Amino acid sequence: MPQLDLWKAVGLFGGLTDEQLQRLVDISREEHFRDEDVIVEQGTEGEKMYLICEGQVEILIRRTPRETARSEVYLGRGQVFGEMALLDLGKRSATVRCCQDGTILYSVSREDFNQLCSNDTAIGYVVIRNLATDLSFKLRHRNLDLGSGDV
Amino acid sequence: MITYKVSYVVIGGEHPGAIVNELARPEVGGQVKIGKSTFEIVEIYEVMPMRGDFAFLHATVRPVKLPVGKPDATVS
Repeated sequence: MPQLDLWKAVGLFGGLTDEQLQRLVDISREEHFRDEDVIVEQGTEGEKMYLICEGQVEILIRRTPRETARSEVYLGRGQVFGEMALLDLGKRSATVRCCQDGTILYSVSREDFNQLCSNDTAIGYVVIRNLATDLSFKLRHRNLDLGSGDV
Repeated sequence: MITYKVSYVVIGGEHPGAIVNELARPEVGGQVKIGKSTFEIVEIYEVMPMRGDFAFLHATVRPVKLPVGKPDATVS
């Protein structure tokens, strides 16, 4: 799939024009990972958002230092993670581990994203609006997952 | 072109499921690979109204027990 088409199919960027999307593509960096690679580590500083182009990743959360990290969800093509790093300066809330060889991600740094939004505030408005929908969908998945034991 | 943002929830609650964007609408009876495991779709419904070119679906899935020696031919 051509790169711009992939970005068009990401809910977080829905409503952006091709020109605006291309500007996002231009500040992104392609990164390749293999099965079991740790992409981000819970508790560390986060300054990049990632978009999954190919493959899958597993989101793991350790609730206490003594507890073993628990799998919370798998994310596949078209999903983003680490997006909170674009909004706040908080530490990573989860560990993200690659679970397929040949996984391809695009990363966008907070600094580059903020610079882009300063130059084109409409991009920032659309992305932040869509972010609320994306987080809502993730919460709904979580709620349904918690209830699935009763299905 | 519609993008289907799908929340796959595994029956039983022991597997965390997945969220994946699909280019074709998943169908009941279809299979999906999540992590290292393969699942069969048993139910699909719209969890949020469509917005623009995006449809938001929930799919309930159950593990597939593949016959010994049979290759894992799955989607996603």
